[in-house]
Amino acid sequence: MKNNIKSVISLTAICIVTSILLAFTNNLTAPIIAKQEAAAVNDALTVVLPNGEDFQSVDITKYTLPSTITEAYSEKNGGYVFKMETTGYDVGFVILCGIDKDGVVKGATSISSKETLGYEKSYGDELKDKTLGDIDTVATVAGATKTTAAYKSAIKDALNSFVILNGGTADLRSEEEILADNLNTALPEANGEFEIVLILEEINGIDTIYKSVKNNGFVFVIGEEFIGTDSDGNILTETSETNKTIIENARQTLLKWADSQIDLTKLTDMPTSVEAAYKADNGNYTLILHAAGYGINGGDKYHPASGEPIVIKVTASKDGKIITCKTLEQNETANIGSACADESFYSQFNGKTENDYTEIDAISGATLTTDGYKNAIGDVFTAIKILKGVS
Amino acid sequence: MKNNSNLSIILKGILLENPVFVLILGTCPTLATTKTVIGAVGMGIAATAVLICSNIVISLLRKVIPDSVRIPCYIVVIASFVTIVEMVIHAYVPIIYDLLGVYLPLITVNCIILGRAEMFANKNNIAKSALDGLGMGLGFCVALILMATVREVIGVGSFAGISIPFLENYTVKFFQEAPGGFLVYGVLIALVFKITHGKAPYKKEFSCDSCPSAAFCNKAHCQEAKEEI
Repeated sequence: MKNNIKSVISLTAICIVTSILLAFTNNLTAPIIAKQEAAAVNDALTVVLPNGEDFQSVDITKYTLPSTITEAYSEKNGGYVFKMETTGYDVGFVILCGIDKDGVVKGATSISSKETLGYEKSYGDELKDKTLGDIDTVATVAGATKTTAAYKSAIKDALNSFVILNGGTADLRSEEEILADNLNTALPEANGEFEIVLILEEINGIDTIYKSVKNNGFVFVIGEEFIGTDSDGNILTETSETNKTIIENARQTLLKWADSQIDLTKLTDMPTSVEAAYKADNGNYTLILHAAGYGINGGDKYHPASGEPIVIKVTASKDGKIITCKTLEQNETANIGSACADESFYSQFNGKTENDYTEIDAISGATLTTDGYKNAIGDVFTAIKILKGVS
Repeated sequence: MKNNSNLSIILKGILLENPVFVLILGTCPTLATTKTVIGAVGMGIAATAVLICSNIVISLLRKVIPDSVRIPCYIVVIASFVTIVEMVIHAYVPIIYDLLGVYLPLITVNCIILGRAEMFANKNNIAKSALDGLGMGLGFCVALILMATVREVIGVGSFAGISIPFLENYTVKFFQEAPGGFLVYGVLIALVFKITHGKAPYKKEFSCDSCPSAAFCNKAHCQEAKEEI
């Protein structure tokens, strides 16, 4: 018993004495360590903001910043360094970005990532010297779209945060959100349900047309303006007289196209690639085709555009000769299959018939895109025979 | 004579009872921190500081600490010194702190330190214990530097971070990895055995005593070995 008590006392005493010693040492060294760590952080931050001095951590909880921003540091001259965590190809993509007092990106570097292709190491250099105004001019890298798009978007978040920290306001909505908001303001009665209208004929002065899913209400995009028209053709948004004329013409064209549309639902043997067909007064047919490109045919390989068809507009005479061919939409691999949207490619089909439509130059390196495109063009001739039989 | 014996306490730690090459203690930090000479020097100095301090304190308290709780007491003392050393290194030599990383706090469980506490400090006076700590620490340093020199010169083609012309173009990366470490370790042990042949203590002369569990271990040959000493 006596021994036990002695053991407890001596062990306790040793612990107390050592604790005091530790507390004393910590007291001496803690301020030096803190100073050193601050200097280390300073050095790391200087990498992205070379002229930065005396960095101080900013309490970001006081501001409404984009969710990617995890840390922010201000510096003496009015510049900021932001640390962002985003998701590129994989989660945990951490980026450090320095912005000087004028809102110019002075450096961006990836400090931790699980990206696969290594573009995160060099892409930051392309974003250097960009501002909020011109960051969108930097292209993403083909084949590493996820990584580079996430990178660019994170830097944009940093630039927006810079504006907010300087007392300004920034539009933190994503591009989709901005579009949805604009459409809703222009045509509230559509309840946010819109489909994009493919412009079948060149309608001068209009960039994009959205149609209400419910009725014949439209939203016309002219430059920055979103102008709504209800199903009776009344223009709901205030705009210039010129725009009103353009819109009225466009509406008439759209309705005329709608009138000439052929109902395909009853034509069961119509090739599935034919999405819509129109018959003009002169007897020509216009077809909208969905071609299966790399995204669908190359399905065993990963592709961000998986399942996105190539949308083609073909006008052909009733005796089966293509008059014009044009790619309206495509989501093929950038710089490879995307060449199917080049006039030099699709104009090759002009004047072709069933017998010689395959005799065109393929897109180099994009066999699947070319083949998918050709198959869809081949369907044009079948479709016209069927349509002729009906009318 | 007295001076002689004091000196011999220090010297035996360097060669005859070298903790790394003869006693085969502290193998883990030896392999881990001998990639670079600077890391080895840092580790050696840190461990020596802890070894001297803990030997002194344990020798000082050897009559106060009850036998039954001596191991926890030693560990508390050693851990405290390690923490103090860690804080001091972090504050004043951050390069070494970053280089040693997790191996710095792990000095606590370095068996050289606990081994010497059990084997020497709790049986000898303060002065001798301090000298033993110094000797063993120097031995550890010498061993680490020797190994690190071989591994860094062959593996990276530099010495203490300074590139060696010609050699830097013909490096053998293998020596930087764990297998290379084991190879160098083995060769050096053999070399030391060759040099000290017949003079180094045989394993059984220290095996049980250096083992913190010896007191609870009833293996017959251990008991015999203990009695012989």
